[in-house]
Parts: sequence; structure tokens; C-alpha cells
Amino acid sequence: MLGIDDPQIWLAYVLCLLSAVGCVIYGALKWNDGEEEEEC
Amino acid sequence: MAVSTPILGIAILIYLMVIFYLGWLGYKKTQQTEDYMVGGRKMHPYVLAISYGATFISTSAIIGFGGAAGALGMGLLWLAVMNIIVGIFLAFVIFGKRTRRIGLKLGAVTFPELLGRRYQSRFIQGFSGALIGLFMPLYAGIVLIGGARFVETTLNVNYDVAVLILTVIVAAYVITGGIIAVMYTDALQGALMFLGMAFLLAFTYIKLGGVVEAHQALTNMAYLVPEGLQAGGHLGWTAMPEFGSPIWWSLVSTLVLGVGIGVLAQPQLAVRFMTVKDDKALNRAVLVGGPFILMMTGVAFTVGALSNVYFFNNLDVISIVAAGGNTDLIIPQYINSAMPDVFVILFMLTLLAAAMSTMSSQFHTMGTAIGHDFYREYVKKGELGQAINVTKIAIPVTILISVVLAYILPISIIATATAIFFGLCAASFLPMYTGALFWKRMTREGAIASMLVGAFSSLFWLLFVHAKEAVPFGLSQAIFGKATLLSGTWTVVDPIIIATPLAFLTAIVVSLLTKPISQEHLEKCFGK
Repeated sequence: MLGIDDPQIWLAYVLCLLSAVGCVIYGALKWNDGEEEEEC
Repeated sequence: MAVSTPILGIAILIYLMVIFYLGWLGYKKTQQTEDYMVGGRKMHPYVLAISYGATFISTSAIIGFGGAAGALGMGLLWLAVMNIIVGIFLAFVIFGKRTRRIGLKLGAVTFPELLGRRYQSRFIQGFSGALIGLFMPLYAGIVLIGGARFVETTLNVNYDVAVLILTVIVAAYVITGGIIAVMYTDALQGALMFLGMAFLLAFTYIKLGGVVEAHQALTNMAYLVPEGLQAGGHLGWTAMPEFGSPIWWSLVSTLVLGVGIGVLAQPQLAVRFMTVKDDKALNRAVLVGGPFILMMTGVAFTVGALSNVYFFNNLDVISIVAAGGNTDLIIPQYINSAMPDVFVILFMLTLLAAAMSTMSSQFHTMGTAIGHDFYREYVKKGELGQAINVTKIAIPVTILISVVLAYILPISIIATATAIFFGLCAASFLPMYTGALFWKRMTREGAIASMLVGAFSSLFWLLFVHAKEAVPFGLSQAIFGKATLLSGTWTVVDPIIIATPLAFLTAIVVSLLTKPISQEHLEKCFGK
């Protein structure tokens, strides 16, 4: 896949991209959460 | 060098003028100690995210680790995965939110102070401060090397001069403007870094004929791995090293785990969580931070590995040979020979920015660790005394030590030394930091014991077992008459793998055996 034979490497390559996308989704969904509130 | 010096000179001048403006802005906005230390706890989420990322990613991540990827291959991408999931997501969402709240409730302005107040121990604060003051110069020295090396190869400036210029400029705005200046300049530098790395990635893939084509060409080069590396377990640049081989251990234990986990307990990063007003800012920062880190380490490791294809196609040699055997020179060498002049200028600024953004935070953290944590809180028992002056003096003194280290440290050291510092921080601070945030039963004695066990076992392993450091230091040889106390695979297992679990275990056992922290203090830390 992607010109890389070792699955351990292309998995890392794909996971890098997915985790960054995950951060964007998290940030977007929680954009207005946690304002001045004290939960603990 | 091919780059036109006047254009580069003008670009750098403009860059420095903006940096000085931001530094001045920081100076103007700094009125109280809290402003100098944690930016008055009201930083913007974008500034937080980029400043965190730009501090996290220094020239060492780009030049040192990118160069390591040039030698070891794309296995380093696992570190990029860790950087995003642990370094950004876990750090902000799990650790960051509690750090901010507890820091605010206890009025802590530094990372050691957060720990000290949480466990009601000046010793913890003082010892942590001293540990940072002693060992962070090693890390700062390395960042300086990375920055200065690029200035050296690109501008043809003498290395020693490059070190001095970089240091003086950064020290000036850190000392006067405190963390506000540090974070504002970081934000600008981060934006530059993002742009530079994006271009680097695009150019590299275009130059090598496309994403899949570039990877395939690298895969096809596996037979070119030098014999020495093959013997160590290297199976090609698009394959993981052989499981359990020395290179595998070095890659997985030192680089991926050491740096990947060590980031959670980095004092200069943890303090940033206390610079924002609420959890909303931390949530928003995750959105910016994830892609930012992807563009830094993800790109550096991919391009570092792919540089082999470029050098092979054009010079008929692999990267490590093209760089004269010094992995730290692979990326600079690649940029200078493969990229168009305009890009070399942009990348020059990118690396300058990367070095400066990390150094500024290191200088700030080292100075406050000595001046505030060690001197004011531990030696002076909290009296104000000369603390501000001591901090301002401590910054140049620790900087001076970093500069001396930058002169004397050997070549190819960048990635290793970064890993040493990250590992030491993880072992000494991570158990008590995690306990401080999540485990109310953890006691002061447990925290102190874990900190001491973590710090000393990490150093012991480094000096007496881990061959990479133990052999050149020679302490084991001098005392026990042999290069390392243990042999075989042990000598390639990173200290973090041994010391951090040991410190966690100590924290748990000692805490369960000692008297819990009073309910009253816990309520003060966590609220009711």
C-alpha cells in the first residue's frame, strides 16, 4: 500500500493522518464546550 | 551557497523586526509576576496551540529526528503518531484541563510549583527546579546546535558566531518580555514553520514523481542499506527494523517511547496549560495542534527518509553518505541541494523559528526553575527577596551553560540528547504529575520517593548500562572496570523503559504505606 510493503510502516503513515483528522473533529465538536465552567 | 545573501539578509531582518515587536508587546503587557510566568492566565487558544507545538517541535525534531529518519527510515513515523495522540490529544484533553484547574486553584505559576503545592512540599518544588536547571541546558544546548548548524551551512557563517547570534537575540526578548513574549513570538514562528514544512513536503513529493512513486522508489532501495546497519537489524527505509535487534530497540524504546511519552512531563510544555482562561481554549487548541504536529514531525520523518531517493538518483549515494556520516547534516544537505533558492530562504527562516521558539521556552523555564522554584520557594522559603533578580540572572547563566554545551557536544548528538532529557523528565515527573492530577490517595512521601527513584534510576541506567551514553562517559569503566554493568540487549534498552515503571511502582507502594493528604487540602486542589 502507498508504495510501502511493510504493514507496520504504512499503518503508521495512515494513523498519523487519521489522528490529526481526529484532533480536528474533536476540536470542532467541542468548539464551545468548557467555558468558565467548573466540573470537578 | 546558492542563496542570494542580500535577499536572505532582508528576509531575516524583517523576521527579526517582527520578533522584536512581539517581544516588546510582551514586555508592555507584563506587569505582575503572574504575567511573566503564565501570561496572566488569559492566552488565546491559537497562541496556546501553536506556541505549544512550536516549543515541542524544535530544530532537533526537524533536523535531528528528520536526519535519524534519513538513516533509520520511516519507522520513525510511529513517533509522529505518538506525538499527535499522546503529545497533543492526551496532553490537552486529559492532562491539560486538570493542570489548568489545579494550577489556578493553588495559584501555581510554574510546573514545579504546581507539583510542590499539590503535595505541600517545598522540597519537591526545589528539587524539580534544580533538576530542570541542571539538565535542561543539555537539551537547550542541542537545540542551539541544530539552529546554528543550519545557519552555518546555509549562510556560510562560522558555527561559533551562529551560536552567539542566536543566543543573544532570544535571550533579549525572553528576559524582558517573559512568557507573553515567548508565546507571541512562538505563534509567529509556528506559522512560519507550518508554511515551510508544507512546502518541503510538496516539493519533495513533486520532485520524486508523486507520493506512491516516491515511496516505491525508497522501498526498492532496501538492498542499499550499508552492512553495518544491516547487521544492526535495518531492513530498508520503508520497513521496521528486525524485531528485537539493536536498531529496533533504539528506535522503539529511545525514540518512539522515550520522546513520545516523555513529552507529557515536559515542564516547559505543561506550564502552558496554565496560561489559558478555560477548558474551551484547550478544546479549541486541539483542533490547531493536531494538524500542526502532523505537518512538523510527520513531514520531517517522511522527507528525511525520502531524501535517500533524491541523493541516490542524483549523486548515486544514500543520505548518510551524502551527509558525510553525520545524520544531523542530512536535512540541511538535502534542502541546500534539492530545493529552489526561494525555498531555502523560507526553510532557513523556518528552522531559525523552530530553534528560537523552543529555546525561548527553555530559557524561560530554566530561569524560573532556578530563580522562582529553587531559590525563592526552596532556599528562601517563599520570601520574595531577590527572586525576580535571581530569575533574571539565572536565565543568562543557564543560557551560558547551554552555549558551552553547544560547543563541546559531539556530532550526531541531536536526537539522542533530546531523548535523554525527555526520558529523565518522564521518569522523574510523570508519576507524581499523573498522581497530582488523577490520584487523590497519592501522598507527599510517595511523590518524593517516585521523583528521587525516577531521577536517580534514570541517570544510573544512562551512566552504567545504556551503552550509547555509558561507553562515551566512561564512568562505569572508571569505577567498575567494564564499559557497561549489564550486557546483551540490556545495553540498548532506553532508561525510560526501566526508570519510569520503577518510579510509578514506587509512587504507588509508598503512597499506600503513608498517611493520605488531608481532605481539606484535597478540596482546595480539586474543589468539593
